[in-house]
Amino acid sequence: MITFLRILTGLVLLGLIVLAAIIFMPVRSTPALAALPDDYTPPEGSGEYVMRLADCSACHTAEGGVPFAGGRKIESPLGTIYSTNITPDEETGIGSYSLDEFRAALYDGVRQDGAHLYPAMPYANYRKLSEEDVRALYAFFMEEVEPVSNAGPETALPFPFNQRWGIRTWKWAALGKAGEVSTTGDALYDRGAYLVEAPGHCSACHTPRNLVMGEAGYTAMDGDFLMGGEIDGWTAPALRGPDSAIRNWSAEDLKLYFASGRNNHAGVNGEMQLVVRDSLQFYSDEDLDAVVAYLRALGDPTDGDNAPPVDPPRTIDRLDTAAGGTEAVLTAAEPGMALGPRLYLDNCNACHFVDGRGADQVFPELDGNPLVTAASATGLIDTILNGAEVPSTTVRPYSLRMPGFDHRLSDEEVAELATFLRSAWSNSAPAVTIADVTARREVAEERAAAE
Amino acid sequence: MPLPDWKTTRRGFLGGGAGAAALTAMAVPLNAQSPEPEPLENYAPEYFTAEEWQFVMAATALLIPSGPTPGAIETRVPVFIDLQLASEFGTADDWYMAGPHDAGADPLLGWQSPLTPAEIYREGIAALNAWCEQTHEAPFAELLPQTQQEVLIALDEDEVPLPPELRGLFELLLQNTKEGFFADPKYGGNHRMAGWTHIGFPGARASYLEWVDKHNVPYPLGPVAISGERG
Repeated sequence: MITFLRILTGLVLLGLIVLAAIIFMPVRSTPALAALPDDYTPPEGSGEYVMRLADCSACHTAEGGVPFAGGRKIESPLGTIYSTNITPDEETGIGSYSLDEFRAALYDGVRQDGAHLYPAMPYANYRKLSEEDVRALYAFFMEEVEPVSNAGPETALPFPFNQRWGIRTWKWAALGKAGEVSTTGDALYDRGAYLVEAPGHCSACHTPRNLVMGEAGYTAMDGDFLMGGEIDGWTAPALRGPDSAIRNWSAEDLKLYFASGRNNHAGVNGEMQLVVRDSLQFYSDEDLDAVVAYLRALGDPTDGDNAPPVDPPRTIDRLDTAAGGTEAVLTAAEPGMALGPRLYLDNCNACHFVDGRGADQVFPELDGNPLVTAASATGLIDTILNGAEVPSTTVRPYSLRMPGFDHRLSDEEVAELATFLRSAWSNSAPAVTIADVTARREVAEERAAAE
Repeated sequence: MPLPDWKTTRRGFLGGGAGAAALTAMAVPLNAQSPEPEPLENYAPEYFTAEEWQFVMAATALLIPSGPTPGAIETRVPVFIDLQLASEFGTADDWYMAGPHDAGADPLLGWQSPLTPAEIYREGIAALNAWCEQTHEAPFAELLPQTQQEVLIALDEDEVPLPPELRGLFELLLQNTKEGFFADPKYGGNHRMAGWTHIGFPGARASYLEWVDKHNVPYPLGPVAISGERG
């Protein structure tokens, strides 16, 4: 018994020592990936461009707020996280950060005071940024951004997630190797790989999470990389693999989607709207080509040709009177039809049409649309309830809005409609329940009340 | 001007109205998506006084009579007019209402009255009822339908001596009655989309591309309202 107590006491002591070490031992930050001279000056304009590549503004700008002054709400699985002020303000921003401290935040998720950043900050991806790009970013934030005094709301997660030291142990398990990106020796592919795997941090949403909630892959060499993930309850679709919808998109379509948020298949939705609005539309033509080449090489596209899509048929010509299935039911419009297709005719058909193909660059296709058939129906339910908006971009300045139908459809009707959409045309996804819809309507109401 | 050959008694009219109302009620699908509102006789007007309400009920019932087809009463046109007058239409919020006003100007010059639509109803109904008392010894709502019709025709033909700023009353009443019969149900009239069903208008669906090529095929679906309600 005494021996047992001794062992137990020993273990507890050892545990306390380890815990103290985890909490108090300073973190050794990842060194620069390349030794650049101290007087290295980033090329003119490169800082702002890298900021666009990395999409700092989407998270670090509150809705309608001053750019980079922070305060944006980020709904994480652990609770609400508020983004911080990254303007060079000495007190409330990052004005007093040295280059090494700035790099430690990007690479290791460590704040100037040594506290660990929540992984809402994608340091798991930013730790692959080249030293040139880190320098460019540092110069941009220190010299080109105006300091703004904005302390913003403090992130206050519930216990145990408010114990930031715990993130240190998470990092041991979850982070990949700094600076590691996939390469093939092909210049276009390699540039695309760098853009997607490092600054673009696509994998933060589009890669599934593993048991410790880390990304299940960080480069194209990892099988799970970009195989689809989840963001705020919405499915972030797979960008490679047999279920990836973009496999069937031409290179032209992919590029148009990134540059304008719309193409002949889809309109950008959910969190991806911010990515197009604040980041992708600013990618240079060459960089977009590189991203497209990389994703197509990764995704093993079904159609090998990079030719632009052929002239689409006029809407009236494409209606097939001999069509069967969903299209036939919708075309016949029998008064005794089921509620799902009837709701489609009453609410959706004017824009998305009986063949579910919408209209090029205006109304998204619903047949084969990954938002419609996603594993989680949350995105589809939210879109039916609250509508959607394709942002204004340089190449397509007109912002397109789909209205919300929350006032027009009951929870039961939304469930019927969503279930119909998920099994219409060539779609085949499980039904949506009334409870699913009720839950999302409550979330929307809570968020509207909190605004 | 000879009256049209159309005679009805108050009893007959009410009976017809009740019959049509019953028919309309039967036509409501079993899964009616909105509860039946307060019956008209219990409706508490937002703008009209009790006396004005009786006038509007009687006058609109004559303008779109109930019978084999729906009329103004079971489509709740009086509710539509009441709600409109209680809102920015009644108070002419977005009209140019500053002077100068010349109410007696040529009608071709358009709205010249300094009064808002709500004021025209208020003062116009009072003036018309006063004239009815003088010539028929009862307010409009208490006259026989035949007499009511003669009064409305006289009003339409400017034979009722009204001050010039009220001369738009009949036109306004007729226009608002039609609007109440055909406007989307969200504004209180066109109850259960009976006005739309009557003329075969499919409502706020706005989606008929696949029907463009189908000549002489009746469109099969009933109407849908802005609220999503299906008729």
